[in-house]
Amino acid sequence: MIEEPYRWVEAIANRREYIEHQLAAGSPIVALNYADGILVFTLSRERQKIFEIYDRIAMGGLGHPGDIERLRLAAIELCSTEGFARSAHDVSLRRLANFSLSPALKSAFEQVYGPPYLARLLFAELGRGGAPNLFLRLDYDGSIRTNGGSFGRAFEDFGVIAGSKASADRMEALLRSRHTSKESFEAAIRFAAEAWSLGHLSLGDDGSEEAPATEKLATHLQTQLVEAAIECAVLEKNAPHAITWRVIADSEVRSLLASPA
Amino acid sequence: MIPAPNPQSAVLAGASPAEDFADLLRRQGLLVAAPSTTAAAASPLAQTQATTILAFRFADGILVAGDRRATAANQIVYDRADKVIEIDRYSLMAIAGVPATAWEMARVLEHSFQFYRRSQLQEMSLEGKVRALSKLLRDNLGFVLQGVGVVVPLFVTYDLEAETPRVYFYDAMGAQFEATDFTASGSGSPAVRAVLHFENTWGSKPLRKLKSNEAILLALRALETAASGDSATGGVDRRADVFPIVKIVSKSGIETLPEARLAKLFKSRAV
Repeated sequence: MIEEPYRWVEAIANRREYIEHQLAAGSPIVALNYADGILVFTLSRERQKIFEIYDRIAMGGLGHPGDIERLRLAAIELCSTEGFARSAHDVSLRRLANFSLSPALKSAFEQVYGPPYLARLLFAELGRGGAPNLFLRLDYDGSIRTNGGSFGRAFEDFGVIAGSKASADRMEALLRSRHTSKESFEAAIRFAAEAWSLGHLSLGDDGSEEAPATEKLATHLQTQLVEAAIECAVLEKNAPHAITWRVIADSEVRSLLASPA
Repeated sequence: MIPAPNPQSAVLAGASPAEDFADLLRRQGLLVAAPSTTAAAASPLAQTQATTILAFRFADGILVAGDRRATAANQIVYDRADKVIEIDRYSLMAIAGVPATAWEMARVLEHSFQFYRRSQLQEMSLEGKVRALSKLLRDNLGFVLQGVGVVVPLFVTYDLEAETPRVYFYDAMGAQFEATDFTASGSGSPAVRAVLHFENTWGSKPLRKLKSNEAILLALRALETAASGDSATGGVDRRADVFPIVKIVSKSGIETLPEARLAKLFKSRAV
């Protein structure tokens, strides 16, 4: 059937539709800059969604747990061997994504007899020596979106992933409205929670409706917090060790979100 | 020959992920395998050696110190060698023996612990960490039998469950022993052990009651005593102002003592 080019294109289109449908319910993951580094935030019900990859790289993933795990372990292996054989300074997110992960995802997606990866990943990397932080979205077909730094686009302060495009677009629009690079941890986490709530509410939208009001976001967050665990981690630029990753406990974030701004 | 790290992921090509970092390195040929022959021909090579490290328990934790000299036969190769290497937030390894092998082991160990934590999503247990070094030493046996690459390290870590620091010493084959009060390794170790034993048994107070200044001064003096009789131990180099590396492992992690404090203590001669 797929010997004919047209059939191949059709098969790929079907595959894309199928994967998008599988990912559609994926709860958003938000990463943004704050005064001391990068903050990664999400709410989860079943399983962990935010992970440490290397000294200065974090990853969040939505999709099939088996596929996320495989990609996560591949990323850890690649970074660790590079960091061991050369040095930790030679480990770069751009190279990890462009050179190693993206081609593998693309070929799995386009080889229509094999299984594709049902995963959408968000990577964040703390820049060294004053270099801007990098946020990178890697999709099941190997496509990459970064937070800028090329083609005249200034670096954005954030990166997001979500199950649907409408959800991600809304979150990006909100996050773009405010520069968070100099904000405190408390302010950043409130903003991240607000963005998450907006993304989660917009999952089913087709993008044509009005964005929900701020009060609605707050109530939605409160109802979601009852049933889900908060996952939050930071990459700290002034960490006393080479390892910058630190997990912030659910209870700590919860009490922060409960206290008035 | 050691190849460059492979940018293509074996895991994404269908291979099962590695649980052990050393195993992952071996799969990629990034770890030099020790020869399996048992030929013990005398090595014509004058190997660089690092010597004299010590560790003892005092009131605030465990103090680890190492002199700075590296030698090859009767030549001094380097007088600023760092033999006390931090492996993670709570663990360090002090080395006596061939630095080429020892530093490589420290690198493997450091990455192993991180790799385990990141991939398995839990910290490696204390026993696991102690055994990991043991395995590296065992794997190195081929080199030891060839007369190159002998390493006799100490491993110091904080036991978060029992809330106490622990110090282990190893032999070149990888057997591990836990030291209760003190231990030393390297060519100057007989002198160091004698000093520490004497202080612990007949000194003004046992080692584990020493306050930090007293402990630091004792470590410096023990290394200086070793240096007086062993040309391979650097001790305290007063002319160049080079002091031993002194680190303390306690509940709050690892503290490296600044040279200025060591200099002040050593010169004051009293606590």
